[in-house]
Amino acid sequence: MVETFTPAVCGSRRRQRLALAGFTLGAVAASALVGAALGAVGALVGTQLAFVVAALALLAAAREAGIVRLPLPQLRRQVPERWRSELPLPVWSVGYGIGLGLGFLTFQPVATFWVACAAAVALGNPLAAGLCFAAYGAGRALMAAWPRHGQPDPTAAVESLARRRRLLLFGNVGALLVCAGLLAAAPAAGAAIQTLGAGLDPAAAGTVLGRARMDSGSSSVLLEPQGETPVAIPGGAAPAVDGDLLAYDDAQGVKVINWRTGDLVARVNGEVAKPALDWPLLAFVRTDSTSKQLVVTDYSGPASPTERVIVRISTMNDLGRPSLAGGRIAWHKVTATSSRIYAQVLATGRRTVIARSVVLVLANPSITSGRVVWVAQGPRSCSLRMRRWASPTVKRIYRTTGTTRLLWTTALTGRTAYVTRWSLTTRASTLVRVNF
Amino acid sequence: MRRPDELVDGAARALSTRLAGGLTRRSFLARMGGAMLAVTGGAAVAAAVRPEESEAFHLCGHIWTTGSCPNPIGLPRIDRHGYPLRPGDGRPIDNLGRLVNAEGYAINSAGDRLVGPDGEPLPRAPRTRLCEEWVKERYGLNSHTQGSWYRCCGNQIRKLVDCCSRSTRRINGDASLVGYCWNGNRVFCVMYYDSGLSC
Repeated sequence: MVETFTPAVCGSRRRQRLALAGFTLGAVAASALVGAALGAVGALVGTQLAFVVAALALLAAAREAGIVRLPLPQLRRQVPERWRSELPLPVWSVGYGIGLGLGFLTFQPVATFWVACAAAVALGNPLAAGLCFAAYGAGRALMAAWPRHGQPDPTAAVESLARRRRLLLFGNVGALLVCAGLLAAAPAAGAAIQTLGAGLDPAAAGTVLGRARMDSGSSSVLLEPQGETPVAIPGGAAPAVDGDLLAYDDAQGVKVINWRTGDLVARVNGEVAKPALDWPLLAFVRTDSTSKQLVVTDYSGPASPTERVIVRISTMNDLGRPSLAGGRIAWHKVTATSSRIYAQVLATGRRTVIARSVVLVLANPSITSGRVVWVAQGPRSCSLRMRRWASPTVKRIYRTTGTTRLLWTTALTGRTAYVTRWSLTTRASTLVRVNF
Repeated sequence: MRRPDELVDGAARALSTRLAGGLTRRSFLARMGGAMLAVTGGAAVAAAVRPEESEAFHLCGHIWTTGSCPNPIGLPRIDRHGYPLRPGDGRPIDNLGRLVNAEGYAINSAGDRLVGPDGEPLPRAPRTRLCEEWVKERYGLNSHTQGSWYRCCGNQIRKLVDCCSRSTRRINGDASLVGYCWNGNRVFCVMYYDSGLSC
């Protein structure tokens, strides 16, 4: 490739630089696209693959060290030479960049590329995987541009590099071993499950995490937008977040504020608590002398919000913290004889039972447009369960054992769930983040 | 190396299970005879088992045969209606194993309602029958409380209760017995009710 990007082939030094720029653009964009696609696949299939990638990295290291012999999946092809004569320079240079930046359309002298592919899937985040994988395209571009510096003949530079191949291979083996070690340690270090400090009643929307805190018997809401100053609301409890809006309950009732400006957006006074927010919809639980009601208020017309009672139950029973998202509302109902997780499509009123038990306490669901999570509490263990709307398969994503370490309220955003873990004996509560 | 008493107990258990698998409890006992059981099992229990190991022989009044019904705490003690009780003192517990008051709310040993991490009293949890609800949900069986028999345990009369279903497998995983079940049912698991009547 270095012979291609010479003034002789390109026509002039200016055109050579243009070709290199086109090649770099194509290579970086193509590799970033591959990374993003692999990250998207990871987001679909789950991210708890670190051990698999670590094993692959170890296998690749063994292959590169000559310990095992394994064929590599590769297309033993080069970029089409005729493009240079048939296509304009900006097109063929970008095309060459794309061809090599994709990675799997050409020779693979080492196995590292496939380890990187597996790592991108394990990352499970298209943006992060795309950014990381862009480095592969940048490396391709660097190898096309670098030999022409300080060497009159670019081919000689490549040959001098080839003479150091053994050293490079050892370096590659070392890098793969380091990767394998780090990846194997990642789950143990809590990459998938992480405690986030004291708090309860998590609320999550994108990169904003809210929680309630109990200090000396009084509660407050703490909102932690990633990379921004945390916002504290003294006297608040049970937060719910939707973009810039925060709903919480306090001594007067439920409030919705813009947490960036502090402006009051909506307010419901009285015996109301446990808000859920998907603006312009606000859900909450209203309690009177005879019943508990789950109410959804629509603020599409802020001057005249409309109120709708979704369900009404006896005060003896537990009507849980609701969750609103994607045109659905979910809640739990626990009675002396059973517990159920319900979901209802608000537009149609169609109600379904997501989970039911006559033994366990199923409680505190949180929903997104794609999934629902809830807590299942048994006599000897508690688990956080998840299922897709489209599938009846229920997956356990987190578990505590024992009779005193319990799970409580939840929040869900993307493929990250938050759950309150608390001790029945000390009542101390901690937030736990579960990436699944 | 197994202790001699373990060898005796193991042989007795294997023999009784093999015989019991194809017989009703009455015919089984008739064939084996109370004396035989006393020699092989009871004698070993009395002579060699330390008090803290007695749970290995299931529960008082019921040795070696069908296992306990699923329950919140570890022993399937029930009230007269089949709801779970705390084995140690017979106080009512919910499905999570917590003491509950008359309304079914979780309480501490002093009788005060338990509170959650938010400082609010905990809501009520389900309290359901071990045989009719727990077995049905856990094992997918249409189970019923049927026959029972009595033993003297802790100086009071204990009623041992069969939880019966159509299943030919019992909770232990092996063949179920007819026991005191009727109407084509067989014993899936057992529970007990302490009557409080001295014996």
